[in-house]
Formats: sequence, structure tokens, C-alpha cells
Amino acid sequence: MSFEAKRCGVQFSPPSIVLIYEHKETKTIRKRIIPVRNFSKYSDYSMAAERLKNHPRHRDYLEGVSQSQLEKLHIILRDHMQGFSLERSLASFNLDPDEDLNKLDDEELARKKGQMDELFEKNRRHKDDPDFVYDLEMDFSKTTQEKCSWDEESDDGF
Amino acid sequence: MAGDAGSIPELDQKKYDADEQVKIICLGDSAVGKSKLMERFLMDEYRPQQLSTYALTLYKHTATVGNKTVAVDFWDTAGQERFQSMHPSYYHKAHACIMVFDVQRKITYKNLANWYKELREYRPEVPCCVVANKIDADLKVTQRSFNFGKKQGLPFYFVSAADGTNVVKMFREMIKRAVDYKQNPGDFMDEVMQELENFDLEKKEDNSEADEDGLKAESPDLV
Repeated sequence: MSFEAKRCGVQFSPPSIVLIYEHKETKTIRKRIIPVRNFSKYSDYSMAAERLKNHPRHRDYLEGVSQSQLEKLHIILRDHMQGFSLERSLASFNLDPDEDLNKLDDEELARKKGQMDELFEKNRRHKDDPDFVYDLEMDFSKTTQEKCSWDEESDDGF
Repeated sequence: MAGDAGSIPELDQKKYDADEQVKIICLGDSAVGKSKLMERFLMDEYRPQQLSTYALTLYKHTATVGNKTVAVDFWDTAGQERFQSMHPSYYHKAHACIMVFDVQRKITYKNLANWYKELREYRPEVPCCVVANKIDADLKVTQRSFNFGKKQGLPFYFVSAADGTNVVKMFREMIKRAVDYKQNPGDFMDEVMQELENFDLEKKEDNSEADEDGLKAESPDLV
């Protein structure tokens, strides 16, 4: 792959996804502005993200950008079209570790998953990585000692 | 309500009675990484079959256990966990269960007790394990011991779907246990007896099918 995605963001006018990437052969950093067409405040962010991810002209550039990150960017664009401030839009992605995510609807959950995916992608080992090991094993049984505070206030089963 | 277990028309669950077929289910809260774990284990084989009407995703896998080829169906929820409870057909004929929580979110750990309770209502004796996912977020969690499941003797795995730690090991061991359980459910009778005490199930017969039939007659909402 000759493009490595570095950062991505949005531009509100005209609605676009902005991608900063490195061209691996020339070692140059470039910016690509991808206009988001046929996308309104009523559009499905998930389908739009998928369409973009598979777009013949853009897919090579977007290979390193996950579906959920593209969904997140589309949600931000749509929030803007619906008149929400950027602050409010971004706040909706924040993770509260104590929140019960089982109670969220599809879109609210997608916002949280998009946020979690950033860490996932950051730590992710790809099968094309030179040091990739499919069956990676680590034994933690010897290091495990500390009692977990989550087990306190224990009810049955804990 | 529970009487129609196994009646998803697109899915003939009778196939799970065949020797070379096992069904392994995944349980756990929304966004703990169940699908990501499947994806990491299956890699290029990853071809989920979405049954969105049932909020269900199926992954097919072919494994070799000993000298036998086994077709494994992994059942994953596609949002069904939001109802705090799974449809009985999800548990029907399952041969093993993988319970997942997110080490960054305590509530997902606490909810394991509910998932485990529901699992045992339908499948009192199938092998089950506890999986602590997302250890890449903070490796220090692996120095802590998580006691849920210890009492029940459930194997525990620290894993990361992102960097792959222990994912393949966990799935392979669970496939093996599912196959062992299917070949010899009698080996688990001790465990069954213990669980019967815990969950106060009545009408348990020696017949391995009876647990399902017995349970169908009862309302799972009662416990």
C-alpha cells in the first residue's frame, strides 16, 4: 500500500472529509479533500461511510481509516447540518466508563464505538505488519496477584 | 415465549445435533468487543452472515480438533444484548459460551453475573469462559485478579482483539471444550450437580436433552 493515513477530519463547507496521508513512495505528506455528496441531515451515516470506504477513487487512500471512524466523521457532518454546535457534537462521543451502553440506541452507540475504535486502531496489529503473530500468547497467570477492586461490594457470583 | 426455541426459519438448528457441528455463543454487553474478537480470530475467513431481523450475526469456521474436522458456528449478538436478555433460540443447542467484558468498563464486568445466570437457565452444563478484553488499553489490569467465575471454575483469559494477545488460544481452547462436551456431556455431570444447587433447577433428568425440554416448560422470567 502506497498511502498511509495519518489524520482525518471534516470540513463543513462544502461538506467534505479531509485526509492527511503520507505517500509512501515519495515520503511526502499530502492532504486530500473528499467531498461528501448526496448526504443530507436525513441521510444514513453508516451507509454513507461504507459508500465512501468502497469508493473506487478514494478507497486506496482510506484503507487505513476504519469504517467506524468514517461513520463518526459523517455523524459530525450531519450534526452540523441539523444545526448542532461542534462542541455538542464532539461531546456526544465522549466515553463515560460508568455508562451502561446497553441502553443506547444504534446511533448513540455508534458514537461511542467510533470513539473506542480510535484506541483500537492505534493499538491494532495488522496481518501485513512484519512482526505480526497470528497466535500471540502471553501468560499472565504469574503476574496476577492484586485483588481487583471491582470484586468488592460482592454479590453472588463475585 | 420460550416454547419456540430454535424456530428461526433461516436457521435449521437440528444440524447442531450432527457430530461434526458445534455451536458456540458469545455473550456480553454492547461494545465490549465481541465482534472484534471474532474478526481477529477468523482473519481472512471472516465472513459474517447478518440476520438483522433477529439481531444476530453468524460466523462459520472450520476447525481441526485431534484428527477430526469440525464445522463451528459462532453466534454473536448484533445489538440483541440491549434487551438485557437473549432470545431462547440463541442458547438452544449451544455447546460452549464465551463471555466477554471490557477491562475499561466496570459495568460490563458486573453485568457478567446477569449473562451467566441467563446462560445457566438454558444451558446448565455447557463449558463457559470469561474473557477480559482490551488489555492493550492498559496492561496493568493483567496484574489484577478478576474473581467472577472462579467459584464456578470458569477459565479466564486476558485478551486484546487489537494486538491479538491470547485471542487464538482462547478460541481454540473453547472449540476443543465444545467438541469434548458434545462427545461426552456426561463428563460434566459433577459440574451440573453443582450448578443445580446454585440455580435450583428442578426436573433435571439424566438424559442430556432433558435439560432443554425441562427448561422450555418453565418460564425463564421467573428466576
